[in-house]
Amino acid sequence: MRYGWRWITWAFLLVVLFLTLFPIVITLLGSLKTNAELTAGATLLPLSWQFGNYKEAWSTAGFGTYSFNSLFVAAMATAGTLIVASMAAYVVNRMSFFGKKIYIGIQAFTMFVSIGAVVLRPQFELMIDLKLHNTLWGVILILISAHASAFFILLSFMSGIPRELDEAARIDGCSPASVYARIVLPLLAPGLGVAGLFAFRGAWNEYLLPFVFTLSKPELQTLTVGLANLKYGVSAAAQTHYMMAGACLSIVPILVVYVFANKSFMQMTAGSLKG
Amino acid sequence: MNKAKNVVFSYSFLLPSSILTVVLGIYPIVWAMRYMFFDYKGYGEERFIGLDNFARIWTDHEYWDSVLNTFIYAGGKLALSLPLALLLAVILNRGLRGRGVIRALLFMPTIISTAVMAVVFFAIFNSYNGILNQFLMKYNLIGSPVDWLGVDHAMLSVILVAVWGALGNYMLLFLAGLQNIPQDVYESSSLDGAGRWQQFRYITIPMLGPVMQMIVMLAIINALKGYESIMVMTDGGPIGKTNVMFLYVFKLFFPTASGSAATQVQEMGYGSAVAFVTALIVGAITIVYFYGSRRMSRND
Repeated sequence: MRYGWRWITWAFLLVVLFLTLFPIVITLLGSLKTNAELTAGATLLPLSWQFGNYKEAWSTAGFGTYSFNSLFVAAMATAGTLIVASMAAYVVNRMSFFGKKIYIGIQAFTMFVSIGAVVLRPQFELMIDLKLHNTLWGVILILISAHASAFFILLSFMSGIPRELDEAARIDGCSPASVYARIVLPLLAPGLGVAGLFAFRGAWNEYLLPFVFTLSKPELQTLTVGLANLKYGVSAAAQTHYMMAGACLSIVPILVVYVFANKSFMQMTAGSLKG
Repeated sequence: MNKAKNVVFSYSFLLPSSILTVVLGIYPIVWAMRYMFFDYKGYGEERFIGLDNFARIWTDHEYWDSVLNTFIYAGGKLALSLPLALLLAVILNRGLRGRGVIRALLFMPTIISTAVMAVVFFAIFNSYNGILNQFLMKYNLIGSPVDWLGVDHAMLSVILVAVWGALGNYMLLFLAGLQNIPQDVYESSSLDGAGRWQQFRYITIPMLGPVMQMIVMLAIINALKGYESIMVMTDGGPIGKTNVMFLYVFKLFFPTASGSAATQVQEMGYGSAVAFVTALIVGAITIVYFYGSRRMSRND
């Protein structure tokens, strides 16, 4: 009886695992097949390994540019988010001033209230006023502006740093700014790592924002946008192998990060419940 | 001693965050709340029309169809993903060999871009040359290609993709809740002769209550808000079968954005009103759920 249950449990787990991994595996393997094999072959492993797909996708289909744009946006947005959110978390946790509760309330509000794509329009108009609509900086600034979750993550890490350390530094004549730069930031490193992972994943995977901002500017498109555009192209059916190679260019880097940092990803997701 | 100095310092450190939040987070909402009283097509003159936009929503069948579609989509996603996630969490909460690896693998889909996977799922579900049909036909499970993204199956397909993307997340949240239940409760109950089902029914479910209430609420909000993968996979089609509320809003603002031909003009005033009503619907459902599920958060 008990033996039977164990079998059923494992069979169930294996089916769910298969369904979960199948789309990812088919993408990885599909990126190494010819287009003909992909669209009619019904094979799992490639008949012959087409590593040339990547070379072609990289240069011919523009994925080299897309990859660079994605990396640029994600790196800048992550750095900006961490700077802005850590400064705010530092003063909110350590200082007392009027309006702290209002500030926290607004950050929570922006996390939960959503009116959909509407916000993209005034954001775009603002970027035209700032003359940033023809660059990726507009996208980056908007990504940084959504730093509420990074702020709350860093705030919880801040309260784990003993106050005695920065109080001692203050008595020794350190200004608040240099306490932040020399004492708080280094001690906040684990928190910055976790918040940075989330910010990077968000920016790297973001689709709608760069999509709307680069509609008429293919040279600024990110991986997600360039990839989805392939689907709309006239020759979409002839480019399934590019689609798979392009998808891998987006998936593989983040999966490599995940292999090393899956504990942080999962801890933070689980932690969001208690927060 | 230099309290005033500290306050000035605090504000200066909050400044970057505050400016970005107000200008790019709050201002767009205020912008929309102004334009929802205007007739504005994105160019030319803007005309104040009072509540006319809201009267128009009332008779906009396409919008109410999209609301209904959202409920079907969200309902299907929740009905499939939540029980499955809870079941997986209960299994993985036991001392199972390799559970760490299994948990990490099941969580993997949440790391990958929704839009990228939507492109891949399009290649999988595509009726012509799609990978799923190739395999099903190879093993003679179907005689002719199934139109997975056609009128009959498109909603099911986008729901399955949504479940694929969300399952790992909810599993992990349930797992976090389960780990908060003290182990000795189970031990003493099995001494009293309780079976596994009885333990699940009378210990796990009640003690998971408050956490479960939060997870379900999160899941409801996410399911009502999600439209990215639908947009990439079906673009709301065919014939509006998978058009959800926020996708409808998107198309009012960016009618020419997707590959398909624009079927409508840009409607920034009306779109703002629709977005406002949609946000109210999501808010109302959240509040109704929260009060309706109060019983769950009581630990008795």
